[in-house]
Amino acid sequence: MALALEMKGITKYFPSSDVLANNNVDFTVEAGEVHALVGENGAGKTTLMNILYGLVKPDSGEIFLDGNKVSIGHPDDAIRLGIGMVHQHFKLVPSFTVAQNIMLGIEPSTFGVLRQRDENEAVARLAEQYGLPVDPTAHVRDLPVGMQQRVEILKVLQREAKILILDEPTAVLTPQEVGELIRIVRNLSKLGYTIIFITHKLVEVMHVADRVSVMRGGRMMGTKKVSDTSIPELARMMVGREVILQLEKPEARPGEVVFEAKDVTVASASGVPAVLNLSLQVREGEILGVAGVSGNGQTELVEAIAGMRPLDGGKLYFLGKEINRLDVYQRRHLGMAHIPEDRIQVGLNLEANLDENLIVSRYKLPRFNRMGFLLRRAIRDFSASIIEKFSIAGARPGGSIATLSGGNMQKVVVGRELSGNPKFIIANQPTRGLDVGSIEFVHQTLLDARAEGAGILLVSVELDEIMSLSDRIVVLYRGQIQGELDAATATEEEIGILMAGGTLQETARSMKAAAS
Amino acid sequence: MGNFTDILTFQLLNSGIRLATPIILAALGGALCNRAGVLNLALEGKMLLGAFLAIVVAFYVGNTYIGIVIAMMAGGLLGLLFAFLYHRYEVDLIILAIALNMLILELTVYFMRVLFGQVGSWSDPSIQRVPDIQIPVLKNIPVLGDILNGYNFIVYFSWFAAIALYFILFHTKFGRHVRAVGENKEAAETVGINSRRVQTFALVISGMLAAMGGAFLSVGHLKLFTRNMSNGRGWTAITAALFGFNHPIATFFTGLFFGFADAFAVRIQNVTDLPPNLAQLIPHFTTLVVLVLVALREKVGQMLARRRFQTQLQSPQTSPEGATSPASGTD
Ligand SMILES: Nc1ncnc2c1ncn2[C@@H]1O[C@H](COP(=O)(O)OP(=O)(O)OP(=O)(O)O)[C@@H](O)[C@H]1O
Ligand SMILES: [Mg+2]
Repeated sequence: MALALEMKGITKYFPSSDVLANNNVDFTVEAGEVHALVGENGAGKTTLMNILYGLVKPDSGEIFLDGNKVSIGHPDDAIRLGIGMVHQHFKLVPSFTVAQNIMLGIEPSTFGVLRQRDENEAVARLAEQYGLPVDPTAHVRDLPVGMQQRVEILKVLQREAKILILDEPTAVLTPQEVGELIRIVRNLSKLGYTIIFITHKLVEVMHVADRVSVMRGGRMMGTKKVSDTSIPELARMMVGREVILQLEKPEARPGEVVFEAKDVTVASASGVPAVLNLSLQVREGEILGVAGVSGNGQTELVEAIAGMRPLDGGKLYFLGKEINRLDVYQRRHLGMAHIPEDRIQVGLNLEANLDENLIVSRYKLPRFNRMGFLLRRAIRDFSASIIEKFSIAGARPGGSIATLSGGNMQKVVVGRELSGNPKFIIANQPTRGLDVGSIEFVHQTLLDARAEGAGILLVSVELDEIMSLSDRIVVLYRGQIQGELDAATATEEEIGILMAGGTLQETARSMKAAAS
Repeated sequence: MGNFTDILTFQLLNSGIRLATPIILAALGGALCNRAGVLNLALEGKMLLGAFLAIVVAFYVGNTYIGIVIAMMAGGLLGLLFAFLYHRYEVDLIILAIALNMLILELTVYFMRVLFGQVGSWSDPSIQRVPDIQIPVLKNIPVLGDILNGYNFIVYFSWFAAIALYFILFHTKFGRHVRAVGENKEAAETVGINSRRVQTFALVISGMLAAMGGAFLSVGHLKLFTRNMSNGRGWTAITAALFGFNHPIATFFTGLFFGFADAFAVRIQNVTDLPPNLAQLIPHFTTLVVLVLVALREKVGQMLARRRFQTQLQSPQTSPEGATSPASGTD
């Protein structure tokens, strides 16, 4: 097959973080294939793609498109050459409509005056052409994440890209949305598009890709045909050692109730109830999994428990004490920890450095503070220890956090929240965007916290994660608990039925039907 | 008696519209900058500079219009300088603005003294005020004519500018790019929009508008320059832009409101025994109130939504099924 893209000897060194992000990387993609690019957090995948898209200038190396050498100094060049990129963190204007976002920069106009009707029509036509329905006049800020991604894809298609780069497109999607995306990608490849698909989920690689390339520590480790490889082999190439995909999970020894929510009601941003009369308990030494399709009140429930959103009814108890009126800082001070789902907006402050991010809500501790003065040395040591313990690539004490790779940012959040022996941990999508090795590590850390007696509320849209970690599982549907299951006996099917709004009786019936 | 109050009312409206003009011009510039994501706190200084240059050039050249043009060019150049320092050296715009505001206040006082030997204020009989325009069509409409007719071209230009800016921001390609840069600069840049160009444009235009507002003070409304002539109008303009959601038309009306507050303060001094200091406080006080309103607006909105939600929960006919339509999360 003809080569659509050839990158040769790409090297990129970032002096500010002293990282060799790409080390003499060779990367080739055939025309019309779906090519998966995998690798650990910080392996250099995004950097390589940013170079291809003209966002980052390489120190050396050459790029060939259809056999011709090209120089790409700016995204404009990439767009002109038919390269389109859907970024790891979406780049949309929230107050603009779908059509306005898709046509941004290439608006149809007469003497500079917009032709808004044409714009909407063009987008409707485009959506139809690719079988990706969208409402051109809907505002992007009102769209669920999966829809926003579709807008990003259409944006790239509208610019007549031939090569599409999708950087971790599935990290923020629900399993349903992932299935839909995979269908879309396969379909685009059939239409002749060349697609580069970055992901951490090897299962997806097996489903979506024709070939797969593996990066580790800035180097290209090799390229395989998907049909000739297996998940364990890819995992080994990525991490450089055997990955235990099975966790060791000791018997739960639940103790006292650490956290309780009683008849909790929470309004969503639009004023409709997002959580309604919901009650749950979490005990010491147990993990309560909250499953559900995203958008069924998880965000609001978690924010209310963490103290970021006022309750509209009901009571919260921590260690038997009512905490309704306590603010975030006070709750954290008592021993609650929170891994938020959005690391960029909520979890971190990208303007502050790593140390500052790590000691938020702890800077008053005598350990870091003497009579109002911060103890620099102790803070440095603390952040060094977290960097080491969580192997945060590219990070150094006092260094910038904005330049970390997505997965490594997540590790900073997880590291901060799990250090300091919290008694109750709210973990909302704790492994979003992490590589297999890091997922394994975070899972193990959560299990260790459980063994030490912490109660954990695990909210995740990944069924695997819920099933392998939880002791009990509740399924959230339209802001209420649709049913509770014992994790030891629950099946994926049962959870699926509850997630879709079915009841346990139905579950039982369908099981029986399946058995007969 | 009835007739007498009518005349007073018209006078109040007329002077309100006049006094609103510098605020409106600067506020439109401020709104444009906010839309482009560059905070422009230097409106006050640029306005003062405009006031000073317009009258000084008018005096030396003997032509008021040239004075206004030079003032606007100076405002635009300052905007260009801001853009350059901001983009090239990443200088903090806020610090830059504060420094500039102080510098210009002192410089104008200095030059007034050096050139004309005056400390508090200066004028010269040779200077021509910008003439008022009689618009034949408007003049003959009974009530409206009295309110809308007989201002100088700067007043009419400020109306035109509001409409033009509205059209540019919401109906042209370039305006769409301005808004995109202001809201998500990265998104704009990844599709090839030159955010520097957009922000530079905003800073230059807003500098010109603020300077024109200043020129209106010294050669449009009066023909005199006084120390600190802008007297906080640049800051009021920023408030007006914020309260108007950076929407040109809403900003225009907020500016108009502030103009009326100004006019009212003047009127109060003439017709009552209120100490002048207290009366002069009125415009500043209104600005403060509006600022507080800006801050509260969002809070109040949220509170009302919550109130509505809770009553809706308590009302018996709401079945839990109906009330629990899935509210999509903010994720
Ligand atoms: N602008 C930058 N300045 C300094 N260092 C950077 C910059 N961009 C990336 N890096 C560093 O380069 C390394 C590779 O980052 P990159 O984002 O390419 O990783 P990745 O493979 O995409 O990881 P992830 O899967 O976590 O997204 C990281 O260690 C990161 O900290
Ligand atoms: Mg990445």
